[in-house]
Amino acid sequence: MSRLRRDPRSEWQARRVPAAGSSATRLRYALGVEAIPATEVAVGPTGRPRRDPRTAVARLAVPGTARLRLDRSGLSRSVTGAGAVSAAPQEKLVIVEAPDFWVLALVEAPGGQPTPHDRQVLGAARLLAGPGAREGGGGVILVSAEPVTGAGRLGADRVVTLPVLAGDPVAAAEALAVLAGHFSARHLLAPESPLAGDLARRTAALLEESLFAEAELVSADQVARRRGAGRLEERRRPPRCLTIGLDRVAMHGGSLHEARELAFSASASTASASAGSILSIGPVERDAATVPLAEAEFVVSAGNGVTDFDLFRQLASALGGVPGASRVVCDAGLMPRDRQVGASGTVLTAAGYFALGIAGAPQHLQGIAGVEHVVAVNTDLHAKMIERASLAVVADAQAVMPALLALLEAGE
Amino acid sequence: MKAVVLLSAGLHPVSARPAPVPVEMQAIALARTLGAAAAGLHAGPGGPGVADALGHGLARIGHLPLARGADPLEALVNHLAAHPPELVLAGRCGQGGEDSGLLPYALAARLGWPLIADAVALEMQGPGVLAVRQALERGGRRTITVRLPAVVTVHPAAPAAAAFAWGQARRGVLEVLPVPSGFAGDAVPAPELRPYRPRPRLIRGAASGGSAADRLKAATESAAADGKLMVGPSPEEAAREILAHLRKLGLVPPRQPR
Amino acid sequence: MAGASAPLLGLAVLVAGLLAAALAAHRLAGWRTGRPAAVDWFGGLAALPRRYLHDVHAVVARDPFTARMHALAAGGLLAATLLALLGAIPALGGLKLWWALVFLAFTAMLAGSLMVARRRLPQTPRRLSRGRFSLLPFLLLAYAVGGLVVSGDAALGGVLPQVVALAALVLAAAGLLGLALQIASGPLRHALAGALYLVVHPRPARFASVRDTGLRPLDLAAPKLGAELPADFAWNRLAGFDACVQCGRCETACPAFAAGQPLNPKRLIQDLAAAASTGSNAAYAGSPYPGAPAVAGLGGPLKPVIGAGAMIHPDTLWSCTTCRACVEECPMMIEHVDAIIDLRRYQTLEQGAVPEKASAALSELRLADDAGGRSPAARADFAAGQPLPVLPFEGGETDILLWLGEGAYDLRYGRTLRALLALLTRAGVDFAILGEVEKDCGDLARRLGDEATFQRLAHENIATLARHRFRRIVTADPHAFHVLKQEYPAFGGSFEVLHHSQFLDALVTEGRLAPAALALPGGKPVAYHDPCYLGRYNGEVEAPRRLLDRLGLPRVEMERHGLRSMCCGGGGGAPVSDIPGKARIADIRMSQAVAAGAGTVAVGCPQCTAMLEGVTGERPEVLDIAELLLRAVEAAGDGQEQAA
Repeated sequence: MSRLRRDPRSEWQARRVPAAGSSATRLRYALGVEAIPATEVAVGPTGRPRRDPRTAVARLAVPGTARLRLDRSGLSRSVTGAGAVSAAPQEKLVIVEAPDFWVLALVEAPGGQPTPHDRQVLGAARLLAGPGAREGGGGVILVSAEPVTGAGRLGADRVVTLPVLAGDPVAAAEALAVLAGHFSARHLLAPESPLAGDLARRTAALLEESLFAEAELVSADQVARRRGAGRLEERRRPPRCLTIGLDRVAMHGGSLHEARELAFSASASTASASAGSILSIGPVERDAATVPLAEAEFVVSAGNGVTDFDLFRQLASALGGVPGASRVVCDAGLMPRDRQVGASGTVLTAAGYFALGIAGAPQHLQGIAGVEHVVAVNTDLHAKMIERASLAVVADAQAVMPALLALLEAGE
Repeated sequence: MKAVVLLSAGLHPVSARPAPVPVEMQAIALARTLGAAAAGLHAGPGGPGVADALGHGLARIGHLPLARGADPLEALVNHLAAHPPELVLAGRCGQGGEDSGLLPYALAARLGWPLIADAVALEMQGPGVLAVRQALERGGRRTITVRLPAVVTVHPAAPAAAAFAWGQARRGVLEVLPVPSGFAGDAVPAPELRPYRPRPRLIRGAASGGSAADRLKAATESAAADGKLMVGPSPEEAAREILAHLRKLGLVPPRQPR
Repeated sequence: MAGASAPLLGLAVLVAGLLAAALAAHRLAGWRTGRPAAVDWFGGLAALPRRYLHDVHAVVARDPFTARMHALAAGGLLAATLLALLGAIPALGGLKLWWALVFLAFTAMLAGSLMVARRRLPQTPRRLSRGRFSLLPFLLLAYAVGGLVVSGDAALGGVLPQVVALAALVLAAAGLLGLALQIASGPLRHALAGALYLVVHPRPARFASVRDTGLRPLDLAAPKLGAELPADFAWNRLAGFDACVQCGRCETACPAFAAGQPLNPKRLIQDLAAAASTGSNAAYAGSPYPGAPAVAGLGGPLKPVIGAGAMIHPDTLWSCTTCRACVEECPMMIEHVDAIIDLRRYQTLEQGAVPEKASAALSELRLADDAGGRSPAARADFAAGQPLPVLPFEGGETDILLWLGEGAYDLRYGRTLRALLALLTRAGVDFAILGEVEKDCGDLARRLGDEATFQRLAHENIATLARHRFRRIVTADPHAFHVLKQEYPAFGGSFEVLHHSQFLDALVTEGRLAPAALALPGGKPVAYHDPCYLGRYNGEVEAPRRLLDRLGLPRVEMERHGLRSMCCGGGGGAPVSDIPGKARIADIRMSQAVAAGAGTVAVGCPQCTAMLEGVTGERPEVLDIAELLLRAVEAAGDGQEQAA
């Protein structure tokens, strides 16, 4: 859709108010839309035109939206219909039969549920492939170890399920390389996560391709990533293999795609020399109580306001958070020293921090400087932690803890 | 056991001065936990950042001199194939060059050796068998056993590197190794580079496409509670609000009836 | 004829003296294992009486009881022994008056010995060592009583029965021999080693009332950097270790010891002395290193000092805040901090055995010139739009060069620096900063033993400073103040450096700043906390107090203040080494401020500010002197406006 061009000068002239009464020497403009219709203009005691703001607003309101939207440009009126925002969701199914090229999007989707990162990879794939159903566009193939729910909504035109991806990474990479070859995939995308990133690198190495790792910006003709010790940005046309950084590319929204299942069996045609060298792969162990604070994604932390530490540990475990503590608590021996958050303890890289009864000494706040979301419960309204939090609750942490635990246990 | 630690010419992220890459120094520390006779290997322009590894526990570094910007893969493959160690350790990602973490994979593929990524601990499980403790997302761990020779990359969660010892650095040996012609590596085409400006991360759940109203809704919903303050709510009220907020942020998994 | 046993007393003294000399010579020979040191023997010997009677006495006299005790016991012992020895000469030994003189000396000694006994009985204070030291009062009493009886008898011309006189002689001789046997490894070692140490002291300038506290440069080309073995210390440092009398004053002053961290300066010196000689610290009977991990306790002149299998655990070494409180309290003028830094230098430079967080800080200092790895471009961010002139890369000219230091990166200390900027601007001071070329002064690197990084930073900063013309450097960071003032001269950079409290005090004196009387909320008094690197290291305790008094603030002193103030726990890299203890030094210091009834603690150091502000719970407010002065100056400005 091409945008309408405006000619500010002529618009300005059009808004000029005709001279009225004694103020004929001064130029006056109506800053509403067009010239003000006579119905809205009354003449005041000084002879100057007066407007009625209510009718003006009513006239500017865009119809068909739940929220009041005003169109002051008057443009939507001149392209009536086409530009009007429709409130109804688009449920048109986009079907791509024979695209010019394929984009492979590898997702992890544990248990078939796509993670936010997975969705973003599909979003990036969609950007590289184009919206579909158009000349010169590409199609997106979602590749995963198990069937993914809602693949069409995420923007996948095709779906390939390869159980081998969940196993030995050597075999998984070979299968992916074969798949990429089979479809002559123009792009292969994966989330920059430990496992998928590993798989992407293995595959790139097999394909003897370079890897555009942790892309931060993706569009159909340009991608960008950080490099050079984080000091430089590299830009180029999208290469064949990319990994997508977390929270860098928006997930696909809007059109619903077909997500047609394709049967594909990877024959081990490129069996590498290292096959069989990996003797065993143990189960994944992830006990939130023992995860090092520095690696934690979500930390539940106790301070002076917490007295029942068994309850606190139960709550942390129920929330799936890594337990942490303030210095005072560690000094008192109530939590081990390696759980101390702050400048003299661990400086967090977590995304979320739930502070229970922590006032927020400067050294403690230094430890959570990089945390995006802070939720604080503290009895002191003026505590620094309350100031820092995006959700701050002035209450006794010791009373809130059992209530939270009860909620979680009730399955809410 | 003979181990080689790959060293890259790193830069300090703030000062941009030549600097050792922290995770490679951690790799040296991991090699030492195995009691391995570890030597460093660098293919590239060299410099003080590489030599600094001598102060972090390496007695010797082999240097394959290459032009700046040349692909080090051929030189490394040639050298390691001629003098194969049992274990090659590398950082998960460099710091100062391309920083894509691909080189150890390309090397392993060319040598035909297995690669295990993101090691945080190593232990010999018998002759020629190595157990690698691997770091996964959100503090997860698993153990992979592999038959040597192998390439192992090291994760930042591995034990801290030995502190830099100035006295050891001045005693260490930096040995220039020959690079046969034909293995000097092609110059990687210079990419379009510009100074990096941090861009904000997207709000999770934001979608491309759809209408502006949809996108706005998605964005404001995620950030709705920002700066919200509740004074003196009942514990139940507080708990409900907190839980809803944490779930909205994706920090706590959505409700699951038990 | 005087009592027949009296001349024999002289003989006993002679025998004991010879025995002591032999034992002492053996001990002193051990010092030769140390590295050579340049010593001014003649000057040292000539200065000995003054050093002993003036400098040592000044420290001892802080505890009047002990001073009197020592004067009587040591003076009496020395006088009586010398006189009794001379009494062996027949010409003198025949004089009753002579023995009356000896009697007087023994009387003095007896009084002193009784005080020694009184101090230890019935309860020995915790800071005093037991073991051989518990024997000391008895030996002293035996010698004093025996000598008293013998000399008194002789003075009266032999009135006592022969048996009694003989028994007294035996008692005196036994006491004396017992004391002589203590000369090598017992309490009396301090007498001889201490006297010699005063002669060959490694910092003779200390006795000229100069606060000679800068660390000595390390030759980075030396084959071994720092001290690994006792033999790596200079021999006169080994003499210093032997001079220790285990009085425990250092232990009561040590902030790390008070916080239950594994450091006890007394024990450290004793361990070093033991490592340099007998190789075992089993005889030590004083307070331990609180909560220190067990070590083998084995050593020797050529064996490593630090390590679980050696004498001292590394945690002990890294607990020190380098506050010099121990040095300030030591009556034997021992340089504990120098020893600790020498040991740290070996650990850091040769072993890379640094606590993990300290290692990260040193790494950033080495690679990015800042312990936090922060960009030099961000150093002036605190100014937030306030005028802050920056010198050009070279050829800049200003009256006052403002050295920002590391505190500039700290949000809290940024407030202090903004106050300082506002004051300088109000006073019309011609000042400027170096801008992005200012590097860390190197204090942290040096205290943590990384002399290589320190020297590089020193050379680079000196070269930067040499490119500009300025009259004086002013800084709000006592650590930078100390390093620039006392430690850069060794690298060719001599500058006139002022702490901001000194400079502001001068501005107020000159009338360039006119503060009004300030009232603090609550009306509670203010207590000034002396930064170690300003007070103890550089002797400036007056200017900040003068300045506070000019603000008309009610002022109280904490129990420990001035040159004997207590550290906040922020020096010597202790915050980054972060050796756990039972309490935190800053909490202890803050509780002292509370005990003094202070409502506000005035500070003058970014470290002190950070440490004291880190104290949680109800506590006095922590405000820098510059912040207080700015309030007063602004109040004066408001008052004038209202008057107008």
